[in-house]
Amino acid sequence: MMKIIKSVCDAQRHHFSHGGKLERFKPLFDATESFFFIPGIATVSDAHVRDSLDLKRFMSFVILALMPSFFFGIYNAGYQALIVSGSDSVFFPAFIKGLQIVLPLVIVSYTVGFFWELLFAVIRKKEISEGFLVTGLLFPMTLPPTIPLWQAAVGISFGVVIGKEIFGGTGRNILNPALTGRIFLFFAYPVRMSGNSVWTVIDEKTPDAISGATPLAIAAITQPDQAIDTVLSQAGYSFTKLFMGVYPGSIGETSALACLIGALLLIITGIASYRIIAGGVLGVLSIGWLLNILAADSSMAWQSLNPCSHLVMGGFAFGIAFMATDPVTAPGTDASKWIYGFAIGALTVLIRVFNPAYPEGVMLAIIFMNLFAPLLDYFTIKQRLRKRIANV
Amino acid sequence: MITVRLKKGCKLNIAGKPALETEVLAKPSHVALVPERIPFIKPRLKVRVGDRVKIGSPVFEDKRNPEIKFLSPGGGEIDVINFGPRRVIREIVIRVDKKEESVRFKPLTDQELETTQRDDLVRAMTDGGIWPFIKSFPFRDITDPQGRAPGIFINLGDSEPFQPRPEVYLQGAAELFEFGVRILRKLVEKVYVARRPGDSSIINSLNHLITHTCHGDYPVDDPGVMLYHSKKSSEENGSWYIDGQDVLHLARFFKTGLYPIERIMVLAGSQAHESKHFQTRAGVPLTELAQWHKYKTSGVRFVAGGLFRGYTGAKNSYMGFYENSLTLITQGDNEEAFGFIRPGYGKPSSSKTFLSCFNTSELALNCGLHGELRACINCGYCAQVCPVDILPQFTYKSVIADEIEESLAHGLLDCAECGLCTYVCPSKIELCARFKQAKAAYYKELV
Repeated sequence: MMKIIKSVCDAQRHHFSHGGKLERFKPLFDATESFFFIPGIATVSDAHVRDSLDLKRFMSFVILALMPSFFFGIYNAGYQALIVSGSDSVFFPAFIKGLQIVLPLVIVSYTVGFFWELLFAVIRKKEISEGFLVTGLLFPMTLPPTIPLWQAAVGISFGVVIGKEIFGGTGRNILNPALTGRIFLFFAYPVRMSGNSVWTVIDEKTPDAISGATPLAIAAITQPDQAIDTVLSQAGYSFTKLFMGVYPGSIGETSALACLIGALLLIITGIASYRIIAGGVLGVLSIGWLLNILAADSSMAWQSLNPCSHLVMGGFAFGIAFMATDPVTAPGTDASKWIYGFAIGALTVLIRVFNPAYPEGVMLAIIFMNLFAPLLDYFTIKQRLRKRIANV
Repeated sequence: MITVRLKKGCKLNIAGKPALETEVLAKPSHVALVPERIPFIKPRLKVRVGDRVKIGSPVFEDKRNPEIKFLSPGGGEIDVINFGPRRVIREIVIRVDKKEESVRFKPLTDQELETTQRDDLVRAMTDGGIWPFIKSFPFRDITDPQGRAPGIFINLGDSEPFQPRPEVYLQGAAELFEFGVRILRKLVEKVYVARRPGDSSIINSLNHLITHTCHGDYPVDDPGVMLYHSKKSSEENGSWYIDGQDVLHLARFFKTGLYPIERIMVLAGSQAHESKHFQTRAGVPLTELAQWHKYKTSGVRFVAGGLFRGYTGAKNSYMGFYENSLTLITQGDNEEAFGFIRPGYGKPSSSKTFLSCFNTSELALNCGLHGELRACINCGYCAQVCPVDILPQFTYKSVIADEIEESLAHGLLDCAECGLCTYVCPSKIELCARFKQAKAAYYKELV
């Protein structure tokens, strides 16, 4: 099998090499070939030996870590759709239904995004970076299951082109491309990205079915005199349910459990920084707790929410595990990673509590902190260099 | 005693470690000097093809400072002088006579050493061709004979794969080593001797000389790392350093009055048919050290002087002036199908993304990149291993932007040139090579 692929690659290489008919599409050929084979390049200078880890495996681990959330998201999207249409919601039909909803989104995201990647790679005569494999999967997982495919295509285009390529491609972008795409959709097509009706796919056969509100939406309309934790559990959102994630929401974000599994995998393998994730959790808990203390009778209901619930509601778990830990847009020093994570957690809670118009606080918090990452690095590096004994 | 604990660095469990036993290698028919591999120098030849030389006759000097001479490691006839591109002098090969003659230098007794003036000692060392063993920070160039240093570091370590073990080359030479330290004390007030923890009785017998014990992984015993972790002020940046085995050469020179040519070298690596120490001489042909006639394999790379800092030697090349090890590993230029999703139980990695993190046995490394060049994604793996607390991912950017001041503030000159940042980089960026270039360019501006 591999020999056949190898011989096909070898036979076609001359078209793409210098002077060949398809020379312009060399990045496409290289990307395809290096998908199948790690190229056999030997070192030319010291160090003579190199670690076995490369960027492709690095990114593959992020994809691997996304798998629990991905499969749970597929199941949950199907399950919610079957519930509102009144059908039996057993596992396999729900999963099949979910596949019908999610797979087209993923395919559109990868195809359209890959088109832009290829276009820029061809123009710049550079290789296609593996970073897109992650972006292409992250993006559809942040979307509501009802999003029209053309909007998903517009979103990923914006994310890849404006969020990444115009800055110079992977490694040079200042904003997380997947989140840039999502934010664009959020502000450009608010009707499709918020409200109560977008989180569950409803069959045309049962137009009267009513989909459930998301916990963030319920919390946002809770009156100041109501106890928010009670209101949530009356709506069926106990802490366990929020943690497990069987409720309407964006495809990948509902299950904090799945995100936790992914986050643990990323932390154990050292792909993601535990400092950012721990800092984020700490930020949510401490600011949530602070607001609890400051809450008066007349203040917003959000303010008295149990801080632990903030961790499992909405997209926080997904955002802090997979979006905030994107190394390119996160700061680079250990100290600034703590600050960065903490600020994301804190801002998420603040946005949720004080600006219910934007219930999805984590998305805005991460993009906001992306902008500050270089500044955090600037100051922490300055601080660090002060301790060095000068050597000039 | 100062204890240096290095938390960073990299634990390397590489197959092909040399055994402690030593074999005496037969006398080679040719030996050579390899000026190309001596950093910074501008060699000026003092011999021509066909000239007769003794052991210890000057072969070339450094144009930058003609006091610095390199002497012949063999007695016989200059057989050939190989030039490379742009007339760089690659090798000066000497065909060795059956009975070699030696140049006689003036030996020193213990008492004479005490009364000798420093300047006379320096002159004796430069004339005797042993001065270049002493190198200086931060550029790791040969020390200026007129220069002074706040201290000199002697490294009794072998953390880089693979180097001769100090307990092997110190075997029966403990007194000689002490004599060498006394010579260095005449030159520099403070002589630091660093060892790694262990229970070798020979090194333990030298414990009264030891000033630093270094705990940790490669490159903890590098003099640059030691300097970084023990320096108190900027004045110490200009310290000198010398390898432990080279101290013995200084001592032998003054004891015997002969240019020292004996060396303990290692042959190691996963492709070496036997990994062990060899007693041989300076400038030995690589194939003779490797005993290459015993091999039938191809695709083997000869690395002289350690896997991280050494150089790739052509098979018909010779051991350099400073190198004491030859590592044979596979070239590693074969493609690997679906390499990025393989479990990788046998793939060495400092990350935990391969099952090899559960594998405690020694793993064979090869010279493959295991990937392709990509943009830096700021993963920070390089900063996790840098032994001198540089943030290579940021320093690298200031280096390629030609921000000299910023690079220096980042500690570019503290760089121990250990190559670990290059080793761990998943984007396969040549960080260390770039840093070395930047340091060399800055050095050129200074002199």
